[in-house]
Amino acid sequence: MRELTITTPEHVNIRLEPAGSGSRFLAILIDAFITTAIASVIYTAAVNIFPRLVAAAIFVTASFLLTWGWHVYFEVKRHGRTPGKRALSLRVIDARGLPVTLYQSIVRNATRMVDFLPVFYGVGGLVSMLRRDRRRLGDVLADTLVIRESQPLTYRGELGAERHYNTLRTPRVLRLIRHKISLEEREFLLAVCVRAPKMSPAARYDLMEEVAAKYREKLDIEAESISGENFVRDLTAVVFSRMR
Amino acid sequence: MNIEAFIAERRPVWQHLDHMLKAAEAAGDQVSRKELHELVELYRRTCSDLNRVQSNTANPEILGYLNQLTGRAYRFVYRAAHETPVWATFVHLISTEIPATFRRERLAVASAASAMLLGVIFGAVAVLINPSNGRRLVPPMFFTERPKDRVERIEKEEERIDNVEKALFFSASLYTHNIKVSLLAFSLGALTIIGTILLLFYNGMILGAIATMYILDDVPLFFFAWVGPHGALELPAIIFGAAAGLVAGRAFLMPGNLSRAASMRRVLPSVWRMIIGTALTLVCAGIIEGSFSQFSYHVFPYGLKIAVAVLLFTGLMAYLFLRGLSEET
Repeated sequence: MRELTITTPEHVNIRLEPAGSGSRFLAILIDAFITTAIASVIYTAAVNIFPRLVAAAIFVTASFLLTWGWHVYFEVKRHGRTPGKRALSLRVIDARGLPVTLYQSIVRNATRMVDFLPVFYGVGGLVSMLRRDRRRLGDVLADTLVIRESQPLTYRGELGAERHYNTLRTPRVLRLIRHKISLEEREFLLAVCVRAPKMSPAARYDLMEEVAAKYREKLDIEAESISGENFVRDLTAVVFSRMR
Repeated sequence: MNIEAFIAERRPVWQHLDHMLKAAEAAGDQVSRKELHELVELYRRTCSDLNRVQSNTANPEILGYLNQLTGRAYRFVYRAAHETPVWATFVHLISTEIPATFRRERLAVASAASAMLLGVIFGAVAVLINPSNGRRLVPPMFFTERPKDRVERIEKEEERIDNVEKALFFSASLYTHNIKVSLLAFSLGALTIIGTILLLFYNGMILGAIATMYILDDVPLFFFAWVGPHGALELPAIIFGAAAGLVAGRAFLMPGNLSRAASMRRVLPSVWRMIIGTALTLVCAGIIEGSFSQFSYHVFPYGLKIAVAVLLFTGLMAYLFLRGLSEET
């Protein structure tokens, strides 16, 4: 997924991560559920006060205002988060990184008509899945973006502490790491370690052996006596326990 | 750089910023002068932390956390739009901006109107050449019986709308439906241009064909009294909404030497005003269509209904063409 990079006036690059179609779909489902519930409550209340057809008129108007006003109101007044988006830590922002304006919100939501076709966000979902920045047509027109914004600070510093007996923690290896392992590779190594427990045992073994073989060769380390997984974990621990 | 020590040292600053942002959002962006200064300072410190972290580590957790935190603070510190008074904006929108936008985007409005007019002419000519063409052009759901039979049946029966309740319900269903259709017309135009043109042509064609069939069947007055009062507002509204789509579509599909996003931003002020104008007019049209239009000539004579139609149309055109004209020049 393509990250959106904003350069602030302080010359700091902020990277924002577009939200995936799945979480957005879930958010819209929650919003649809809430608006329908509110409209039904309004109808039930109205039907007790007014004649049936007046109540029906109120219901039609209320559900119309709710479907179209709901998103505009929350996007503009609540910093780009409808209740559904808030629940999933999503946020609508201007693609320049600023808050979404009323006008963008109106255009973005007017285009919902097409994104909704043929049934419940068929077009919007498809377009969003095909685009790398995960925008639906309304987002493209209004130049807005839905970003994922959760991430409490869960620094996995324990990865280094976890491996007490680490034969790779030598000055030579540290020097090799500094020269040969790029930032992207470090990120990759960490990701491999973090995700390994979620893989099937066979796939995990194969992947770890493959990664280990590559880095054994690259760093010219002959630690054949330890398993691929242990090698990768040791290496990652060293990479992240002593950066520079 | 010892990342653990760095995090331990800076974490209180980040948490403070996070806390302040949450409080500001909960309070509807109301922050005191002192708080604002503090917030900006915290934002700057976090920015420089993000800078250091970006060049010193690739840890996705810490980078992700600081990126989203700085992003939130950035949106707060640098947002361009200040709070606008909703009611004053709305009044200004109605009193001057919508007519001004209509005149500014007259080319798009004229294109949309001519697409529909061409459709009307096409439908009318097709029926004139061979009356049986009417059945081919008009979808069967709108064409269940001969116009004359229908008129006789409707005018003989009791009033369809005999109380306020029915009128309200029918009106509400109509305007919500019509607004949805015009939003669809807008979106199709914004994304394809041709989609809107075809939609307008098609609807114009049906209108032209039906009108000609009623005229040929010798019941023209009924038709104009029935369609006129709401059509006088509804048709211009749909043309206006479609024109918004054409303006957006032109900016989107043919951005010239601007970027697509920049091009869209340039037309955004016109487009949203046109969408709002369309929706408001359609609400008025829906209320008329749900009540006044439905009465037979026993209640409102044809002459009265047609007079109302002419009055509404002239009023709308005067508003769109003349309102606020003196201020512009």
